[in-house]
Amino acid sequence: MSPQIQLVWLILLLPLAAAAGITLATLRHGRLSAALSIGAVIAAFAASLLLFVGHVQGRVAVPWISLTDGTTAFLVDLGLRLDPLSALMLLVVTGVAGVIHLYSYGYMADDPGMGRYYAGLSFFTFAMTGIVLADNFLVLFIFWELVGAASYLLIGFWHQRPAAADAGKKAFLVNRIGDFGFLLGLLLLWATLGSLDYAVLESKLDANPHALGPLATAVGLLVFCGAVGKSAQFPLHVWLPDAMEGPTPVSALIHAATMVAAGVYLLCRVFFLLALPDSQALPVIAWTGAITALIAALMAIQQNDLKRILAYSTLSQLGYMVMAVGLSGAQTGPDAGFHHLITHAFFKALLFLGAGSVIHALHHEQDIWHMGALGRRLPLTFVTFLAGTLALCGLPPFSGFFSKDAILALAQHQSPPLFALGVGVAFLTAFYMARLVFVAFLGPARTQQAREAHESPLIMTVPLALLTVPTVLSGFWGLGQACAHALGPSGPAPTGIWATLAEPFTHAPLAAAGGLLAALGGMAVAGFLYHGQLTDPLPSRLGALARILANRFYIDEFYAWLIRVTQEPLARCADWIDRWIIAGLMVRGTHGTFEIAGRLLRLAQTGNLQTYALWFAAGALLLLAGLLAR
Amino acid sequence: MDTLSFIVLCPAAGAAAIALTPRRFQFLFRLIALGTTLFSLLGALALFAGFEPGTARIQFEEYMPWVDSVGIGFHLGADGLNLGLIVMAALVGFAAAAASREITDRQKEYYLLLLVMICGVLGTFASLDLFFFYFFHELALVPTFLMMGIWGRGERRAYATFKITIYLSLGALLVLLGLIGLYVVSDAKTFDVVELGRHLAAHPLSESAQATLFPLLLFGFGILVSLWPFHTWAPIAYDTAPTATAMLHAGVLKKFGLYGLLRVAVPMLPAAARDWIGVLAVLCLGNLLYCGLVAMRQRNLTLLLGNSSVAHMGFVFLGIASLTLVGITGAVVVMVAHGLLAALSFGLAGFLRERLGTVEFDNLGGLLQRMPFVGTALALALLAGCGLPGFANFPGEMLVLFGAWKAHPVVVSLAAWAGLVVGAVYALRAVRRLLHGPLPARWAGLTDLAGAWPKTPFALLLAALILLGCFPRLLTERIQATTLDIIHAVHGPSLAESPATPNNPQTQPLQSSSSVAPAMTPMLLQKPPPTDARAQQEDS
Amino acid sequence: MTAGLEHYLAVSVLLFCLGLAGVLTRRNLLVLYMSLELMLNAANLALVAFSRFRHGIDGQVMVFFIITVAAAEVAVGLALLVALYRRRRSAQVEDLATLKL
Repeated sequence: MSPQIQLVWLILLLPLAAAAGITLATLRHGRLSAALSIGAVIAAFAASLLLFVGHVQGRVAVPWISLTDGTTAFLVDLGLRLDPLSALMLLVVTGVAGVIHLYSYGYMADDPGMGRYYAGLSFFTFAMTGIVLADNFLVLFIFWELVGAASYLLIGFWHQRPAAADAGKKAFLVNRIGDFGFLLGLLLLWATLGSLDYAVLESKLDANPHALGPLATAVGLLVFCGAVGKSAQFPLHVWLPDAMEGPTPVSALIHAATMVAAGVYLLCRVFFLLALPDSQALPVIAWTGAITALIAALMAIQQNDLKRILAYSTLSQLGYMVMAVGLSGAQTGPDAGFHHLITHAFFKALLFLGAGSVIHALHHEQDIWHMGALGRRLPLTFVTFLAGTLALCGLPPFSGFFSKDAILALAQHQSPPLFALGVGVAFLTAFYMARLVFVAFLGPARTQQAREAHESPLIMTVPLALLTVPTVLSGFWGLGQACAHALGPSGPAPTGIWATLAEPFTHAPLAAAGGLLAALGGMAVAGFLYHGQLTDPLPSRLGALARILANRFYIDEFYAWLIRVTQEPLARCADWIDRWIIAGLMVRGTHGTFEIAGRLLRLAQTGNLQTYALWFAAGALLLLAGLLAR
Repeated sequence: MDTLSFIVLCPAAGAAAIALTPRRFQFLFRLIALGTTLFSLLGALALFAGFEPGTARIQFEEYMPWVDSVGIGFHLGADGLNLGLIVMAALVGFAAAAASREITDRQKEYYLLLLVMICGVLGTFASLDLFFFYFFHELALVPTFLMMGIWGRGERRAYATFKITIYLSLGALLVLLGLIGLYVVSDAKTFDVVELGRHLAAHPLSESAQATLFPLLLFGFGILVSLWPFHTWAPIAYDTAPTATAMLHAGVLKKFGLYGLLRVAVPMLPAAARDWIGVLAVLCLGNLLYCGLVAMRQRNLTLLLGNSSVAHMGFVFLGIASLTLVGITGAVVVMVAHGLLAALSFGLAGFLRERLGTVEFDNLGGLLQRMPFVGTALALALLAGCGLPGFANFPGEMLVLFGAWKAHPVVVSLAAWAGLVVGAVYALRAVRRLLHGPLPARWAGLTDLAGAWPKTPFALLLAALILLGCFPRLLTERIQATTLDIIHAVHGPSLAESPATPNNPQTQPLQSSSSVAPAMTPMLLQKPPPTDARAQQEDS
Repeated sequence: MTAGLEHYLAVSVLLFCLGLAGVLTRRNLLVLYMSLELMLNAANLALVAFSRFRHGIDGQVMVFFIITVAAAEVAVGLALLVALYRRRRSAQVEDLATLKL
């Protein structure tokens, strides 16, 4: 283990130091805070790069809690682990975070709360690197919660706005529900296997795959619960679209590239737990992901807010990733899902930043039907946005093509219905993204603002360009190979550009062809429907169906009803118990009992001499009788 | 003078000084209060620094015999169980004295009572003699009632004062009966906790005696700690009490019952403890779930915090009910953490009430815009309360949940729900209604807590919470050995299962205790004959 | 038929019960006092009878004490009665209930 491993402490703690420094000292100085924050994350990225290139691996730890009484032990170290998986993920996280830190400098330049914003962003970076580097479940859980707190603070950044404050609250609470399941899984795991450390658990389960027995499925699904919350899978997906109330760079960083990917990362990290021979967790995971992908894609086709479309797209792609993990086998590991996580981080961050550029140029207008012809007015934004779109739709040679194909190939191999669903979602994805591009960037300008928009400053467009590079090229950088290497055995790598491009077609022709045709088909239909339109033609054609989709299947309303229906009776029951049993029976009951006793006893005090004499005589008689009876 | 006496008697000296100062020098009262509590705090920090971790031996011990014929002596000492509590009490005492700016009427009496209360609180945790344990508790309790009755706020203050007085007096009465019963039945002729513990380890009480005494102590201590269903006095009391009283009572004095359970009831009456622990586990759910749900319905910050405080006691009860090393250590950590948290929350709420005149959600909103420091501190306090990592409550709650899982899985699952979800619901609701959202016009002219001095107590409490949250080892490595002793007292030192191999090679065996005298250990390792027979043998 | 101890005791008991009945039921305070005296004298009779039939002087000594005490008590009682009558214009028992709660 080389001494460079100590760099991981730097990567973890520099952003925290920046956040603490900003909070305690430079909150009022926006630019200084920005400098601190950006410096920290760039340094972290540089260190991650060094570690990745140097293939450094190892583990560092400080003891956190050590309790043992000889039979049971609760030994938790603050441990950080660097292996191919975490090194790669660290690179992606710090890289994307760095780009977004830079971008935010331009986007938030006029906001008086810039210091607070950068403190939150640094705190988030700290917590996210913690999740990536954690080497045991408890440390992961700690950073998991902290990431949720950071998300809460950043979604509700403009806390004066009720919508933003409510969205932050919703995100935190829904995440907490997932965390509850997660914690139960951890409790079961510790109680059965006695440790929360990944390495220890993995070796125990290697030695005895049936160690968990019938609990294997339960533990797997409970751990998956945490991912359901954090990665916004159905049915805990409702917080992600609302989270768009936060500033756009926050949406890019947290709700597209990193935090929501943490759930998928977790599943990849502890895949050994999910792939146990006794465990039935993987099929459930696969179907959950598939359902999420489908309903999110359906909901996306009728959204009119630029960021919401991207949010639902994120949901859908996360569903893809989760589905891929669920379909993976124990031998190959979940590398398809992880590959897609990374490519998605790049192109989705790019898309969100591009959206931010558009929103900034139009003075915070987000409705796509108030845009149009932006391709001509914002050329750089348009080109990068288009690159991101094509990657998302899965067109070669963009990175998304390779990762999506890997997933579709996996689905085709393992489960035909899921393959069909995957192809269907690919079609829908292409459809709604093309719809977005046609309406917002092409076609006629629909409002005065759209006519007058101009390109964003360099500080915002350079990050866009920076992200376009991996979006376009990462397929040729051996990213797939790196993922496979990180998660399991990897096969021989194709060499040369044409070989790389052709590899998906030779490896799994049906999947590749299916994905490609679906994407092209979706774009064609969208072009046909939306080219040059002034309003959305779909609602009139689809009628009620369009309304259902636009209202997101009324899931939010259903949850609100469910909460009302369970909470009201519970609250009324508690109130009843409080009023009648505790306050009534116990408190007033005790009071009443004493009072009645007092009143009864008082009746004996008549003041009448003869009554007293009677009692006296009766008592004397009783005493006499008692004495004589003996 | 030794450290512990210094810590305990400093506030008493301060009270005497205030009593002797003429009313003309009003500014002196606050200064004396702040000064003496600061000295106590420094003493407590010195105590913490000088404490040797990893051993269950009592440190900083002081003993002065008082009434030998009955066995009462002034015995002070610090071990893992009360170290954290003493330091926390000293810190909260200082913060409470600092947070008493709002009192402008009859300051002399107020600060006098406050210092007497702080002395009582410190004394009760430091005492190792049952008589003084109870005496100091009453010394702290009576000023509570007086302060609530005289300086209380709100129209229901008479009702609240009577309610808390009667409830807590009832609880204290049950405790007194239990303690005296323990003294009489054990026939040990001493009130000293250490001696009594040794005596009872060697001659345990009969099952029936334990079965009579333990419920007395359990429910007596329980009422003092707002165990469900004897909890309704707490929220309204904290709503009515002046800020400092609420901080001290919710933060510190409530821990007396829990401390008493761990110090007296559980180790000395082990058989009954094992029997009654199931009841405690179920009742603690009442605290956690029921009071959490009630907290969800509150529209008033102090009532919400009061219910939340009662709910957190559920975690400590659960930890005690686990009767495992991990669980009880967690319980002690939660005690310390919650003390700091309650002091912080009630201090901030009191400040808001004084500055704004109201803490009703319907009247407030958007406070974070005008009061960044107080708003952020309150938000952090509320988040800490729902178990966010980084604050001391998190490691404590985790230890409790993990420790109690094997014994009571269903209860732990519901407790996890109550802590994670229900707790988050009302905490975030409070933040949303008070701090976020638009600011009503009438509060446009608000100003924050200005200056460094007024912010100090809150900053100190926050810093302590964060420090213990990031480095829980500071507490756990000092608590462990004592907890191990308690476990041995309850279960016997040889545990039935074969030891599983510890997973981490860096485990060191702990120094086990000294309160079980070595000669007794062989006797305890054999299965003892029925205690009645043995007691008779002993007598004959 | 010679009068044995039991006859005297029977008379004593009868007298006592009559006195008790009077104390419990009569409304006029003077009559109450008289009944009270009757109870005392019943006790006296019993004591003398025991002294006579058990050949001991103790009973008769006790009788002297009782007579003295009874005389003193009647003196005090009548004085109280007169004082009460002057305040209340009534010597009925039911008018003296000021200690009622």
